[in-house]
Amino acid sequence: MRFSLFPGCIAKNMYASIEKSTRFVFDRLGIELLDHRYTCCPAPGVFRGYDIDTWLTLGARNLAEAERDHVDVLTICNGCYGSLFGSNHILQEDPEKREEINEILKEVGKQYNGTIQVVHFADVLSQLHERILEQKMYDLGLRLAVHYGCHYLRPSHHHESMNVENPRIVEDIIELVGCEPVEFKNRLSCCGAGGGVWSGDEQVALDVLEEKLTFMSEGEPDAILNICPFCHLQFDQGQKKLQKFQIPVLHLNQVLGLAFGERPKKLAIHTHLVTTREIERKVKKLKKK
Amino acid sequence: MNPIEEAAWASDVEKCVQCGKCTAGCPSGRQSRLRTRALVQMAYQGYDVTDLKELWDCTTCYNCAERCPKGVNTVDAIIKLRNLAVRRGNFPKVHLNAIENLYNTGNGFPLSPEVAKIRSIIGLNKEPYDVSTDEEELSKVKKLMDITGFLKLVRGAGK
Repeated sequence: MRFSLFPGCIAKNMYASIEKSTRFVFDRLGIELLDHRYTCCPAPGVFRGYDIDTWLTLGARNLAEAERDHVDVLTICNGCYGSLFGSNHILQEDPEKREEINEILKEVGKQYNGTIQVVHFADVLSQLHERILEQKMYDLGLRLAVHYGCHYLRPSHHHESMNVENPRIVEDIIELVGCEPVEFKNRLSCCGAGGGVWSGDEQVALDVLEEKLTFMSEGEPDAILNICPFCHLQFDQGQKKLQKFQIPVLHLNQVLGLAFGERPKKLAIHTHLVTTREIERKVKKLKKK
Repeated sequence: MNPIEEAAWASDVEKCVQCGKCTAGCPSGRQSRLRTRALVQMAYQGYDVTDLKELWDCTTCYNCAERCPKGVNTVDAIIKLRNLAVRRGNFPKVHLNAIENLYNTGNGFPLSPEVAKIRSIIGLNKEPYDVSTDEEELSKVKKLMDITGFLKLVRGAGK
């Protein structure tokens, strides 16, 4: 099994700890990750909101890079998934639009054919339960507040086979490594960062976040578990900005990396803004399975 | 039909029965002036909504579109209305930073020296393998954005 890794701007340029854990985990699972010269997906909120055709053109260029190697694109970010799955879907379904975008791509010697798929890493992991159990070195015993993030679940036609009203896919994965999902109100609600609101209207982004964090904290989790670096950034930076709450924030691949026995320092989770010291302390005390 | 009405029609707003489920389920609307039902209805009826600040408060979470009993593509309508607003110079100017970054580096969030250092310490390539370090490929990306007129659009909008 192999994919082209689409790390996305945030996992490579801001939270490199997420790219690191992704490469570690997928290597352990025996999945080859290829690299391609990508741009930003580009972000579905800001850039699509400014010019749909620019968004489609750059999305098509990214997809065309992986197409040359006949390899599906693996996203580790809901924004990248929303953008690339969305643009792939539009261009596969609409021949006129595809031709229009290909006219533009032709100017730089590229072509989009619609021959590959865009997948979200959580969906790939959900098919690999046995391999995850084989690689598991620790039952982590962490109580996690699972945050799915909007662009993984919605629009629901991006995920036709999933119960997007009551998903369990991430809970099932973290339970494999001995973690417990905590219950909290409105568990599928937005983190507040998307759509360009994070930078465009910070107060609204923080108000939405504060409501979410209030519900999450009632479950007394050890950490917030996410499957999207942009939600990750919002939870990590947002708690500092709000000067309220101090719940460590972990991406799913970081949790798996810890469970597979990698040292927290090597995964660089200590580079997050909200301290992960408690998590590191707990992991250190664990006994190997 | 003016372009604002067209944007509403293209997203099936004519099917709206004004039940208000979109506004009721909006996480941003609880914290901002965004009222999804009113916004798309006003557009449908031809009012100019492109100068409303709350047009930019939608997090594109898709709660509204998922819950709409008539299948109105509310988020698509808002995105199309934003595209029109940009052409009239109405957008949060703070976004120009991300737009310039996209043009100059290929990334909305560019690499900082601090993260480059972290990358090399934890065993990743100091600079990620992407277009930002490939001059030839980056110039192609810029050319694509020149063809779509992206920078001209945001720099010259409303002038």
